[in-house]
Amino acid sequence: MLAGGLAGAGALGLTGGLSGCGSPLAAGVAGTPLNPESVTFWNLFGGGDGARLQTMLDVYREEQGSPESLTAATFAWGNPYYTKVVLATLGNKPPDVAVAHATRATILAEAGLLEPITDDLLGLAGLSSSSFTESVWEAGRVGDSYYTIPLDTHPYVLFYNAEVCQQAGLVGDDGKLVTIEGREAFEAALTEIKGVTGDVGMVCSNVGDTSGSWRLFQTLYWQMDGATDFLAEAGQQLTVNEELALATMDYIGGLAKSGLITPTIDYAGAGTKLFTGKAGFQTQGEWEITTAQGIEGLTFGMVPIPTVFDQPAAQADSHTFIIPRMERTDAQRELAMGFVKSLLDQSLTWAEGGHVPALKATLESPEYQALEPQADYASAAEIAKYDPPGWYSGSGSTFENIVGAQIGLVQQQLASPQQALDAIKEQLRTYLDTPSPVLGS
Amino acid sequence: MATTTGTTRRNGVSAAAPAAQEPREKTKDSTRAFNVTAAVVLTVFAVLWLLPSLFALKTSLTTNSTAALGAPAILSDLQITFGSYLTLFQAGDIWNWYLSSFITSAVTTVLTVLFASMGGYALSRLRFPGRNLVFLLMILGIMVPAQVLVVPTFQMLDAAGLLNTYWAVIFPQVPAVIALFVFKQFFDGLPRELEEAARIDGAGYWRIYRQVVMPLSGPVVAAMAIVTFVGVWNNLILPLFVLSNPELMTIPVGLATVQGSFGQMFADIQASAVLGALPLVVLYMIFQRRIIEGVAGTGIKG
Amino acid sequence: MTTLTTPPPVPPSAATRPDGSPDTGTRVKTRDARAGWLFLAPFAFFYALFLIVPTLYMLITSFFNTSLVRPGLGSFAGFANYAEMFGRADFWSAMWHTLQFTLYTTPPLVVLAFVFAVLANRLKRGQWFYRLAFFLPFVLPSATIGLIWVFIFTPGTGLWPTVQGWLGMEPTAVLADPSWAMVGIAIATVWWTIGFNFVLYLAGLQDIPRELYEAAAVDGASPWQQIRSITLPLLSRTTTLVVLLQIIASLKIFDQVYLMTQGGPGISTQVALTQIAAIGFTDNRIGAASAFSVLLFIVIIAIALIRQLFERNQDRSA
Repeated sequence: MLAGGLAGAGALGLTGGLSGCGSPLAAGVAGTPLNPESVTFWNLFGGGDGARLQTMLDVYREEQGSPESLTAATFAWGNPYYTKVVLATLGNKPPDVAVAHATRATILAEAGLLEPITDDLLGLAGLSSSSFTESVWEAGRVGDSYYTIPLDTHPYVLFYNAEVCQQAGLVGDDGKLVTIEGREAFEAALTEIKGVTGDVGMVCSNVGDTSGSWRLFQTLYWQMDGATDFLAEAGQQLTVNEELALATMDYIGGLAKSGLITPTIDYAGAGTKLFTGKAGFQTQGEWEITTAQGIEGLTFGMVPIPTVFDQPAAQADSHTFIIPRMERTDAQRELAMGFVKSLLDQSLTWAEGGHVPALKATLESPEYQALEPQADYASAAEIAKYDPPGWYSGSGSTFENIVGAQIGLVQQQLASPQQALDAIKEQLRTYLDTPSPVLGS
Repeated sequence: MATTTGTTRRNGVSAAAPAAQEPREKTKDSTRAFNVTAAVVLTVFAVLWLLPSLFALKTSLTTNSTAALGAPAILSDLQITFGSYLTLFQAGDIWNWYLSSFITSAVTTVLTVLFASMGGYALSRLRFPGRNLVFLLMILGIMVPAQVLVVPTFQMLDAAGLLNTYWAVIFPQVPAVIALFVFKQFFDGLPRELEEAARIDGAGYWRIYRQVVMPLSGPVVAAMAIVTFVGVWNNLILPLFVLSNPELMTIPVGLATVQGSFGQMFADIQASAVLGALPLVVLYMIFQRRIIEGVAGTGIKG
Repeated sequence: MTTLTTPPPVPPSAATRPDGSPDTGTRVKTRDARAGWLFLAPFAFFYALFLIVPTLYMLITSFFNTSLVRPGLGSFAGFANYAEMFGRADFWSAMWHTLQFTLYTTPPLVVLAFVFAVLANRLKRGQWFYRLAFFLPFVLPSATIGLIWVFIFTPGTGLWPTVQGWLGMEPTAVLADPSWAMVGIAIATVWWTIGFNFVLYLAGLQDIPRELYEAAAVDGASPWQQIRSITLPLLSRTTTLVVLLQIIASLKIFDQVYLMTQGGPGISTQVALTQIAAIGFTDNRIGAASAFSVLLFIVIIAIALIRQLFERNQDRSA
């Protein structure tokens, strides 16, 4: 009613004279589509990822021969970004292509906000489902349809300061970190390093970094035999193996208490400690490779997080491309897929930023295999443990915030594992009791 | 307080201080000492109050690499560069945000002042059935916190297909009950002789409103217009949720959500903060008196 | 969004005569009636559409499992959304943080604004400078305030920790520390909004008859005695107003928290409106968000009513 009446009247008065179709003014006044002839792309990449993405976007612009062929916007990471994607899609002005974590894309798909990625659509970019590593491709499945075009997998890994580790006798003849397996070996290594640094063995950021705390927990928890997904039934059931969860938190708290890992440190501070040789190990997402490479005089390496318990595991998620739902012409669809293809073609550039490529062709290419230290930890993608299913779960989600905050407190010695688990259960209760609000009833 | 508005308008806030005129010698001395102390204390605080803005301005005029080193480096850097401003102007988003802020603020201001003055005129001069009910509803409306209505407002705009248009920001802000009352109060205080003369000449209400009442209402129109304009320009919560496309965002929303390629580019970020504030600083410089009167009389408090 | 600092006028039936004209003929009456409604119509239209309808809609959806991303109201929930709110730890903590913000900001906003206004009012020169310093921040967008203060509070290298270092204090990571984050938000808020109270007090000072000071001065009262025995009591109305407005504004705080901490670290600065936005727009639960909104709505209206009663009392006793 309103749209028809007042907006229509305004549209006649203003847009007729002032501007052509596709300008922000026309869109703001009359609701016409923005930039129908160019690709609009949203992402959440900051820091090193953001800078690398810019160069990739510039390649696309060059291919198209015009800077206007692409409108890109970067938003604050986590919930605010996904809220924007949801609201824009509801408001009929979503981007043509957006980046989403696999764990969040499935929720958007359940909400009916995404176009399914069909073989036909992939075909427009010269791709098929078999172009991607199978586990990553499967991570984008909801029911019988797929909703993501995977770009990478980003496991939580171990960074090491090569100089410190050399002095601690942890570097082999090949110049790489020796394989460390089992609790005793791991703790012995940390003790060695602590002796060298005179500070701590390993840094794990836990202040203002709930996701970081969650990643550490998820990694160690899944290394234990008998671990089960934290949640099940779309987030309606708490299925975590409480005994193992307590053991995991107990282990983290214990390491911090004995001074082998930092009890309290924030994201940036953790990096600084490793880079300045006050710690030998750091658990961190592989994307921090860009920061590490920018530190003058630092020699470092990256490997999968050692198997401290029974089996290898690493928390991970995948960056994917999604196509938010809106009315599209075939030409627009083709344009969008052309853009996706251009970025996927640059997978190697992206991989230099730390991420393990999802495109098999790139992953298996000799160029990637020759990348150091990227290839050293690529296997971590094979032991990837994604966030549990749930409408409030996924990277940067409420679930990570709730669970991660408590684990951070255990590390800080401000809560016992039991207190933390009780608090987690208490805070998750509302969410467990609530049927997924995104599913149609 | 009703009289406060009137007094303010007559004297202006800057009216001379109540200095004692014929005190005894001893009091005179103590008064002078007190005034000197007052000036010193107040100036210290005023400088303290200016520091954050000046620091932001200084940061925006250094390079990103200097800004990344932190406060001491920023303060000791004597070079001035406009690089961050150039970057922002070239990136282009800021122009769209200015456009969006300007259109939404201007259109809302025009509609609010027009509709509120018409309504205020009706309530001040006309007797009609249902008037008391209207009055009651309006008084209740003053208490209704618009921010709390953001969720249902979003839903309604969604249903009307107005999300991501300027109208989504304009329409919900038009019914500013406060403006209606300020106009009514002002009209109540206007002498009626002119209107009655016009009516005897056969003028209808619309003509009286347009040709007699409004021309006499310059000050209150200006005060309301400026307060509305500033309020809409600065609103964050409504446009934050109803404008999700960067090309349509208003300045505050753009500053709050879009990082662009300047992740940790502190000079660029502070430059964007300065640019977001700039139109209002200019507005303040031009309309200082009106803004202060408008705020003191009506209160645009978050 | 705006709050009237003057009490709403009394309904016309009680006090003012709506029409100065003694002519009450029937013809004029109907003409009046039609014109009255026509003049009111545009405003009333928007008022109904964007204040009344959303309020009703909010009430209705609070009883349903309404989803952001699904059409329709969803299934009927009864009072479940309300029960959920009362049972949620984060509901109470959001309410507590809102109160905490009020407690941190109100005293400095009242005391400093009063002192600044009284001092500025005594000085003959430099008024424009003081107004610029204290009032200009108030007209700036909250987004600018947020960007400035987040940068000032940058752990380690920001202006705040640097100054702390100069003063020989242990630098605080203000916004990253759960026990300090709300203090940081309060500091930015006091800096931002003190100008509002400052001009209210200045306006109030204009109303105090100059003769009072002159008489006091003749009696030999020092400036300090004058302030204590004349200014302070005569500004008590303004003070009450300032405090009540600050409480109402605090209940509606959103911008500073959203911009500076996003409710973090953890949920240590999550306040009512940021929590409502999170439930509605992040969890996609319009129904639950509406229930929270209704509860907040009731609290705000209650305080606004208390204010009305208070002012009526003062009017009577004045």
